[in-house]
Amino acid sequence: MEPRIVDITEKFTAACKGLDIGQLVKDEYFTLFESIGAVEIMDPQMDSGFLQPGETLEDDYDPLTPILPEELIGIMDQLLCYEMAWHTGSPLSQTLFTSIHIDRLLWPEPKTLEEAQFYRGKIEDDRRPGVLLEVLRAYCLALVKGCDFVIAKITSRDYFEEEDFCTNTYNRVLFVQIPPDVFQRELDAAIELIEESAEIDESLRDAIITRLNFRKSLLTALDIEMPLDMNFPLDLDRPYSLLSSTWSPVADSLPHIITTHELAKPVTDAFSTKVQRRLASTVPPRPIVQFEFTKALEALKLLCVDCQEATRFLQIPHDPIEYLSFLWAFASRDPTPLTYSRSYLGAIMFSSDIIQAPGALPFEDLRSFVFTENSAILDPSLRALSPPLNPRLPKPPGLQLVEILDTFVDRAIPPYFDLWVALGQNKCRLRRMLTHVIHAWDALQRDAEAADAKLKIVCEAMGIGHELMENPLTTWVYIKKLWMIEKVILLGFEQEIHHPDEYAGMYFFLAQIASKRGMALIECLHLLHGTQSSYPKPPSRPPPSIPPQSDLSTQDPPPSESTAPTSEPTEPPAAEPISPPFTTEDFPLLKIQPYPTSSSTTTPSQSSNGQTPTPQTTYLLTLLCRATATCALASALHTFYATLRRIDLLPNPHHALGTPQSRQEARMKPFLTLTPEEVPRDIHRGCLLRPWGPYDERSDVFGDEFDVNSPLWDTFDAYMEVGRRSWGEVKQAGAQGGKAKGSEIAWKKEIDDLYVTFEVLRRGLERLRAASSIREPRCAPGDSMDLEVDWKRGGHTDGRENEGWLVARVGRVFFVEADGTRHLANNVMVWDGECFVEGDLGWMNL
Amino acid sequence: MENEQATFYITQFIGKSLRIHTSDGRVFGGQLKCTDRDRNIILALTHEYRAPSAEAIKKTIEESGNTKATVTWNSRYVGLVVVPGEHITKIEFEESLMPGQKSSVAL
Repeated sequence: MEPRIVDITEKFTAACKGLDIGQLVKDEYFTLFESIGAVEIMDPQMDSGFLQPGETLEDDYDPLTPILPEELIGIMDQLLCYEMAWHTGSPLSQTLFTSIHIDRLLWPEPKTLEEAQFYRGKIEDDRRPGVLLEVLRAYCLALVKGCDFVIAKITSRDYFEEEDFCTNTYNRVLFVQIPPDVFQRELDAAIELIEESAEIDESLRDAIITRLNFRKSLLTALDIEMPLDMNFPLDLDRPYSLLSSTWSPVADSLPHIITTHELAKPVTDAFSTKVQRRLASTVPPRPIVQFEFTKALEALKLLCVDCQEATRFLQIPHDPIEYLSFLWAFASRDPTPLTYSRSYLGAIMFSSDIIQAPGALPFEDLRSFVFTENSAILDPSLRALSPPLNPRLPKPPGLQLVEILDTFVDRAIPPYFDLWVALGQNKCRLRRMLTHVIHAWDALQRDAEAADAKLKIVCEAMGIGHELMENPLTTWVYIKKLWMIEKVILLGFEQEIHHPDEYAGMYFFLAQIASKRGMALIECLHLLHGTQSSYPKPPSRPPPSIPPQSDLSTQDPPPSESTAPTSEPTEPPAAEPISPPFTTEDFPLLKIQPYPTSSSTTTPSQSSNGQTPTPQTTYLLTLLCRATATCALASALHTFYATLRRIDLLPNPHHALGTPQSRQEARMKPFLTLTPEEVPRDIHRGCLLRPWGPYDERSDVFGDEFDVNSPLWDTFDAYMEVGRRSWGEVKQAGAQGGKAKGSEIAWKKEIDDLYVTFEVLRRGLERLRAASSIREPRCAPGDSMDLEVDWKRGGHTDGRENEGWLVARVGRVFFVEADGTRHLANNVMVWDGECFVEGDLGWMNL
Repeated sequence: MENEQATFYITQFIGKSLRIHTSDGRVFGGQLKCTDRDRNIILALTHEYRAPSAEAIKKTIEESGNTKATVTWNSRYVGLVVVPGEHITKIEFEESLMPGQKSSVAL
């Protein structure tokens, strides 16, 4: 069979000329849509094979060119830079694949590792690569295999291509089939070669050996087959078979690589963009990504530290809440862990060592919230009951009970682990994914309601109804869901999604959610403590399943409250004839003192009746204190920003296309469909964004409020007091009490950071109050306030002490005489009793 | 050529292997998917072939000492491509026939 080739140019051209304008002759299944994906040949923007006049396809550099030891170190370090550039998001085509050495090893595709050389086929003896090139080859081979491991690990988990990491290998096969020990042997042989070559300078030889050993340990650490089991017997053939010990050799070799980097002599010719023309890529060559050596080493160090930290996941107490604390702390690490580190943790957390049975962790989590330790409801002997032989007879109630719980836990598994998956993403993605996870939990809540109803009937039939709290499953789901909503709001602040003029509204919303969560936690605590509890009974709350109609009426801050019921005589703002539209009415949690004020010794670690509380009680109390602190701080910030907004100290951007309503809708979108309704429904008044009513209507309502004797200050004081005390309780309970033992360092930092937030806010409030004392009454808000808000962003000392808690700093503004005129000098500020002036060289202390 | 006749002539090459030579010396081998009056051609499952550079030929001859030595063309897979009519220098039809089999195309 011989292929026949016929020149049809002339006839084909003539036939084309015979076609009508616009007429296409095409395959009937070929669509216009498909044709969009076609690469246009000879278009310099698209055709990766298009050469400019005089440009050559091939590179001039011959990878068999002998190199100096300094140049070997230079190439190795350059490859390391490109490897880290790839880890931080650049594609292989613009990083490692620009190396001509690596290109030769991988293309044409070698069938065996012996074939993967800098040349193909036979070669004369005098052109054979020398010792240094052999060493470079071993280094490159191990590097490529490492990339293969990285891709395998990342693609096995959830990740977002282009956003996180480029896994495209452009049709090159990165030694997928070859086991890692082969590469280790190549590296060992290379080390021997170098040790034997006497002509190389001692320091250079040392630097090369360090790099080869580093590559060995990194390849071991990246190995996807590495067993997770901590008790894995120490295998002598694999010296680092303990997972947690794999990363320290990598990290330990870094300082020596840094100190010997000065010996390196770069070989720029060994890298070329032209290699990209031979890759299966649809884009023409793009510039090589320049990644500095110091930056690369920083990224590498981060990788080691984060992965090392991730291995601790195996050592922390086997408790779902401990795991969750750890995952949250890991996701909040600063700087953010690289994609590989996150995938690394993902592989560990979803390993069979952690998740022995899929339902075990969700069930344990559920139990620790809504069932007592030795509850008859969870009696294991119930599981021994057998169903009646006649399937028509009803099952014994005990068995029904077990089945209801098991069915519910099975149902809870997907949303439960969705949360874990979300925590393994980058932080922006985490926020977006959480909003979806919340919806999954919302659906779960409806199923929980049905299960709760059945549970109640069965428990009453068994006579253990007193051990069952009202709607236990729903309460658990609700608490978890509210916690996620809080996190979404806080992440929104952290990621600068909210505008300053929306801060007040968003903190208001946050305080409301935290308040609801606290109320639900109090119900759980009542179950644990029985009726003789010293914990205050929560005010009657409609079950979470029913949209709390009555709650809503109090949640809506009515703009004209002269007729509103002032049911809280203890709350000074509400007692005023004209009250500001924020009251603690909105946050019932703050009216409850979680601990009796008279006994300052009562802490989560010491219950009031003298008995040592169980870890379960301690944990729930800590959670309650956290919710209270969140609620109090958010309320204080809500009031703070509403006040600043009212006196025109916040930027008041002109939103050309947005109305307060549309913006609120955009912010609230993820929460609008939840049941029970979490967002106050009256969005048309924009009450969340404008708690005093429209800002442009300068009513006297505010003018009366803002003076030094105003009850506004008492409200602030009350919020701050509750918040600080609750946070103190959280601190006292310790990381163990809060079930964050596995992430204690992060826990401590969070505690300290929030104290700083309280402190910054306290100073801001003081300044505001001091300014109000010198203000002439009855002048328009904002006039002659002599205040300014420091609204600089970036850096860590700008009020961003803690994730999501933004506190604007308030300072005094000075009037200065210059050029004979009085200016309002925005760039003079008193801070902590010292005067700062902003000059050309930045802020200066006067 | 009449429109009807032209359409018939081109249609018989749809889905068949063509080799398109372009003005910069490359050859694209793939299946014809679509064409139009301007002789723009869409090929699917295309490979790009590029003649070795004069230097590479010279080097091979020097190394082997044989003026008849074979120098391989560079090739790579490029997938779906559009070759604009203005850059086409030659169109070849490629057909593999079993002995005795009749061509399905009326050339």
